[in-house]
Amino acid sequence: MGRLILKGVSRKFNGFLAVSDVNLEIADGEFVCLLGPSGCGKTTILRLAAGLDAPTEGELFLDSKKIEGVNDECGFVFQEYVLFPWRTVKGNIEFGPEMKGIRKEEREQIALHYIDLVGLKGFENHYPHELSGGMKQRVGIARAYANSPKLLLMDEPFGALDAQTRNLMQGELLRIWQEEHISALFVTHSVDEAVYLADRVMVMSARPGMVKDIFEIDIPRPRVRTSPEANELRDAILKSLGTEIKRAASLK
Amino acid sequence: MKNDNKRNGLIINILSLIGFIIFWHVLVALAREQIFNIPFMRLKDVPTPIETWYALVGSMFTRTYGPGLTYGIINHIEASLVRVIQGSALAFIIGVPVGIGIGYSRLIHNILNPIIEIVRNMPPMAWIPLAIFILVSGGSIFIVFIGVVFPIIINTIYGVRSTDSRLIDAARMLGASQAQIVTKVIIPSAFPSIIAGLRIGFGVGWMAIVAAEMVIRSPVGLGYFIWNMGDLGRYAEMVAGMIVIGVIGYFMNISIVLLQKRVIKWVD
Repeated sequence: MGRLILKGVSRKFNGFLAVSDVNLEIADGEFVCLLGPSGCGKTTILRLAAGLDAPTEGELFLDSKKIEGVNDECGFVFQEYVLFPWRTVKGNIEFGPEMKGIRKEEREQIALHYIDLVGLKGFENHYPHELSGGMKQRVGIARAYANSPKLLLMDEPFGALDAQTRNLMQGELLRIWQEEHISALFVTHSVDEAVYLADRVMVMSARPGMVKDIFEIDIPRPRVRTSPEANELRDAILKSLGTEIKRAASLK
Repeated sequence: MKNDNKRNGLIINILSLIGFIIFWHVLVALAREQIFNIPFMRLKDVPTPIETWYALVGSMFTRTYGPGLTYGIINHIEASLVRVIQGSALAFIIGVPVGIGIGYSRLIHNILNPIIEIVRNMPPMAWIPLAIFILVSGGSIFIVFIGVVFPIIINTIYGVRSTDSRLIDAARMLGASQAQIVTKVIIPSAFPSIIAGLRIGFGVGWMAIVAAEMVIRSPVGLGYFIWNMGDLGRYAEMVAGMIVIGVIGYFMNISIVLLQKRVIKWVD
């Protein structure tokens, strides 16, 4: 399960239209990347899917259940990690199960499973400020997974990492995603990242954000970033995105 | 390198203290020899550091040292500290929930804020006459409470309000209820600020207790002690008491800083 549908979704903020008439569907287990110039409403779409924000028009559904109010069947991974600084790695990952009232031994087991899965064994009792950016985001991902979500929403999760760590984390994310197979909506600025990760890439237009182009990617994983197919796709996506980036710049 | 700097700093600190004591001694000695005096001051009546030291040692434990001196300084320290801790504990128990309420709820803010904004501008000492009239006992504890509670309330409000809204979003996404957001996110996030409020409050409370004991005339307490010694013309004991007040205030502050570091391991 984990089918997300957006039907004619618009969101206005104080008169200005951030997102306009977005229709999209994420199939169960699918990995979709949302790509677009800054300020095109990518984050707004994630927040709407999370139920942290409500649409001005249109409806959202997760597994044909209308999303109203906070949708805690989604896991959210933030760009700036947003870990609880007073909790250890284990404490952060246990947060979701703890809120649900799951017994201590059981949630400890859940936490240890995901600590292992994201490769943080040995760091269970570290506090976030003792971790590097990449490790913090591993905690962020594990914390979202530990709540057994149906859909993972990721808002530029690797945006704050250096290029090498970023490539490494993309590989790690795919490994985890393939093990746990949960649908994912992943927002990014990076065409390279989208082509490496996604089953489908949606290019958004400049403000107001609309879905402009959709690219299906059927290159089998693990993908080679420099393969001819990948290069060709990157080229096509960059072209589609290029005109929007120029438009976005002229809007400022 | 860093250790050298630290050691040099410590050496300068100690030299500075010694220098001040010598300066104090020389100033009083010159006045007594009528070589030098500051106009309008009776410097010759000021006890020298050595006299102060003997007074301190002499009255530290002695219970019957002269008229009005039924307790040693150690008893006065104990009495004042106990009052400050009682008043501060009360202020903490009441101030933290009030601060959380005001910081969290607009309605509670609108109800309580006008009262707090006026009451907190009345210095603790301004409450002393009222405390004498309306309280059968515990007047000094009440004065400490007044001094400590407002820094705690204000800091708690600040801590609650500066909770990162993204942390609250993260908690909601993980299924936290409104009550869990308060107990599991807002309170831990505000905790360092609450402790900082307690630290400021303790400082205010320590000043308030000395003033309160002078006026309320409890038979024991550092404020009472220095006032009484001044009355009796025992200036060396009086100054010794003043120094004790300063030193204890200093150590109270340091101990809260240490507590802060121990309890809040997660701040870098």
